[in-house]
Amino acid sequence: MSEHRRQILQMLSEGKISADEAERLIAAAEEPSAAKSSDAGGRGTGKDRPKYLRVQVDSEDGGGHDGPTKVNVRVPMRLLRAGVKLAYLIPTAALQKANLAMHEKGIPVDLTQIKPENLEDLVEQLSDLSVDVDQKDSDTTVKVRVFCE
Amino acid sequence: MIPFVAVVSLRNEESRTFRLWIPLVLIWLLMLPVVVVLSPFIFLACLCCRVNPFRGVAVVWQIFNALTDTQLDVEHRSAGMSFHIV
Repeated sequence: MSEHRRQILQMLSEGKISADEAERLIAAAEEPSAAKSSDAGGRGTGKDRPKYLRVQVDSEDGGGHDGPTKVNVRVPMRLLRAGVKLAYLIPTAALQKANLAMHEKGIPVDLTQIKPENLEDLVEQLSDLSVDVDQKDSDTTVKVRVFCE
Repeated sequence: MIPFVAVVSLRNEESRTFRLWIPLVLIWLLMLPVVVVLSPFIFLACLCCRVNPFRGVAVVWQIFNALTDTQLDVEHRSAGMSFHIV
């Protein structure tokens, strides 16, 4: 526990400040360190853009018959950007058909309104993506991690 | 730059590793005449679908270029496989 946090809790226990004030003070005390750690991670800055999308799958067989299996996929972000550009090549007629099918399923999305720059932005925002999935069955444990690095 | 080599590593139960270097440049060279022969048909198909063929070629070229550094590893107690495009 940091010194600031301890002092704030001490003041709260002595009744010098209210719980709301303590919460605000703790948030204010933690803000600079949070900003520092996010800068160190380099996420969201133009300088340290992630280069790869990583997918890691760890599967463990509790029965011990097959042993653990590890899958590690590293996809360059450049490949994602190039792949997204394939969307430019989809004919308008096909997009309209897809729109119709999605409307029938109750998904009100107009694909013709998605512009190439929107897709570029989408890939840019993937840098903040992090997905962790842990699944435990009776005899198997599967961990999936998707992140950018 | 398009990738020139793919490295495939295979490991068996006795931890013996076989590494195979696949010269992709040869595959590209072999594919080149096929693409040249098929290019009029690809061009026509693009026109039928109302897709700019030059843009299509540019996108496919960019995808080929971006393949470098793609990696896939699968590890298991009894065997392992790694595929890396260099």
